[in-house]
Amino acid sequence: MNVAVNVDAREDIPAWLAYGTPVFTVLAALAVSAIALVVLDVNPVAAYRTMFVETLVTEFGLSETLTKAIPLILTGLAVYLPLKAGLFNIGAEGQLVAGALAGTWIGLNVSLPGLALIPLMFVAAAVAGGIWAGIPAYLRAKWDVNEIITSLLLTFVALEIQSYLLRGPMQGGTGNFPQSDRFSEAATIPELFGGVHAGLLAALCMVVVTYVLMTRTRLGFEITFVGSNDEAAQQAGMSKFYVYLLVFVVGGAFAAMGGISEIAGAQGRYRAGFEPGYGFTAIPVALLGRNSAFKVMLAGLFFAVLFVGGSSMEVAFGVPAALVEIIQALVILFLITAEFFKSYRVGIDLKRGPAETPAQPQRGDD
Amino acid sequence: MVSFIAGLLDATVQAATVLLLAGMGELISERAGVLNLGVEGMMLVGALGGFITTVLTGSHWLGFGVGILLGMVLALVHAFLCITLKSNQVISGVMLTLLGTGLTTFFGSGWVEESIDGFPQILFPLVGQYLVGIPVIGEALFRSTATDYLALGLLVVVWYFLHHSNLGLEMIAVGEDPEMADTMGVSVFRLRYLAVLIGGGFAGAAGAHLSLAFSQLWVPGMTAGRGWIAVALVIFAQWRPRRMLVGAYLFGLLDALRIRSQSISLTVGPDAPLAGVINPVVEFLMTPQIMGTYPYLATIIVLAYAVIRTKSDQLAVPSALLQSYSRETD
Repeated sequence: MNVAVNVDAREDIPAWLAYGTPVFTVLAALAVSAIALVVLDVNPVAAYRTMFVETLVTEFGLSETLTKAIPLILTGLAVYLPLKAGLFNIGAEGQLVAGALAGTWIGLNVSLPGLALIPLMFVAAAVAGGIWAGIPAYLRAKWDVNEIITSLLLTFVALEIQSYLLRGPMQGGTGNFPQSDRFSEAATIPELFGGVHAGLLAALCMVVVTYVLMTRTRLGFEITFVGSNDEAAQQAGMSKFYVYLLVFVVGGAFAAMGGISEIAGAQGRYRAGFEPGYGFTAIPVALLGRNSAFKVMLAGLFFAVLFVGGSSMEVAFGVPAALVEIIQALVILFLITAEFFKSYRVGIDLKRGPAETPAQPQRGDD
Repeated sequence: MVSFIAGLLDATVQAATVLLLAGMGELISERAGVLNLGVEGMMLVGALGGFITTVLTGSHWLGFGVGILLGMVLALVHAFLCITLKSNQVISGVMLTLLGTGLTTFFGSGWVEESIDGFPQILFPLVGQYLVGIPVIGEALFRSTATDYLALGLLVVVWYFLHHSNLGLEMIAVGEDPEMADTMGVSVFRLRYLAVLIGGGFAGAAGAHLSLAFSQLWVPGMTAGRGWIAVALVIFAQWRPRRMLVGAYLFGLLDALRIRSQSISLTVGPDAPLAGVINPVVEFLMTPQIMGTYPYLATIIVLAYAVIRTKSDQLAVPSALLQSYSRETD
């Protein structure tokens, strides 16, 4: 017997596959990660109950989740927007750090009332993040230098500069820790409700801005057009240069806002290593939510639940919170696998003998 | 001063070996057209696997082998996703780094306190006993761990394989023009699988060298970005093995220098002209963290300069890098 696997391109995607993919993906990732828990002799059901139920039903869990979601949504948008134009920004982490550093510097060195100081910190952060993202964008738009590599490498440059500043010029007065002084009252983002700071408003605004930009404006149409066919777009008179620069710089500014709101809202001072890879988590966030800015927001919330739930699981079971990273990776893994099944129909044929060749004469004595 | 330089060279060789091994793997994979951003994850898996095996069995070489094998296992996932499923190479690579970091942090947390005797420092075979006496460089170059020599030997093998063997030339052809290679009867799928698997094996070896020879311990995240430097190194070397040797030792020297930069002073005397300007600048440029940015900045500059200035044949970036391949018709 012969097994043949047929792979044909699909003409259209069945609805159950299109809508079910994010759900299946997440469930599959959780199921496979359960193996890791079993290996460490932890009951996965109990661990997941701690991870999700406690995070979603306690007031503390909810406020932590919303707080964590702010940088995740903003960095998610920073990847989502260039993705729409066909570009890959894997340097959101660097843009977040560059922005947070610039905003912190303003927060610590400028004395103004909070109403003026906090917006100024956000502007400074957005400018720094925009410049940091603008470097790979300019190189790509002008000279076709691969933006993936340059944005990635600039992330590590930003992390080293962060480490330098916090052990040198920006280090706080007491102790030997790589951290800045505490923010004054005026430089701290005020609480919105129940422990959630007002950075949430900034994140929600940017989701709406991105949504409106992509669905209601000519510019959004141009971004999508350039992303789907840059040559046709250029023939239609659109500027690839301008679009590339714009999506990256705006994306960088978003990531930077995520950085400064985390520092000035949740942390109260700049600590080296405050970001548990928000900029890299932004990649699955943007992929899960790639259809619209609102889905990016939902994906950001989901990963925030994972982060917060991961910590409570660590406390309750002594299991490393790194499980969250494993789940993240598996979400991406299943997502890109599902992508394949979305575009191709796979059928398995069970045939008797090779189909093309004529049947061999059989020996009588067999 | 002499002993300082000798010590620095010794650290350079060790650091360069890590980059050389990981870089060679990345180079082979990219030459066949598959970017591997999972090196960091593969190195971590190799480092932890090699370490645990060595603790349990006491054999360095068994640990080294397990490190290679685990790197290849992750690479197999990358190959399946990028080559068979035609997924985006960047996403798959970042996913594998996340997965490798997560898995090793998760399962490695109990191994942090373990200690091992790493690979011993041995004399270079045959000629080592005569050459080790050379002032300054002798001890650094001719009394090292076996993996240091192995990496250099493998570089020659990789160079010969890529540029002078049929299989290697076919691999390069697959990275340049898969359609053409396919027409000529070269199996694009098979060669890309092979290249990615070799790349993963090298990354695993780099990780195992890191935990078994370089640090002789396990700490979560101990690669500390060296996997990304390996990716940068390949660009810096413009996809050529011989330039990678130079790059690996240059980046290795920077790595060694930043660890020891506190004990060096390159500042001019207070009476020298412009001392007030030069000294702060020199001190700033010699800060360990600022030195940490050099490999990345140098790579960006080299990449940008090469793309702007040269024709693509001089740059040698594989033309089909990042492109998945499927036959138009059966």
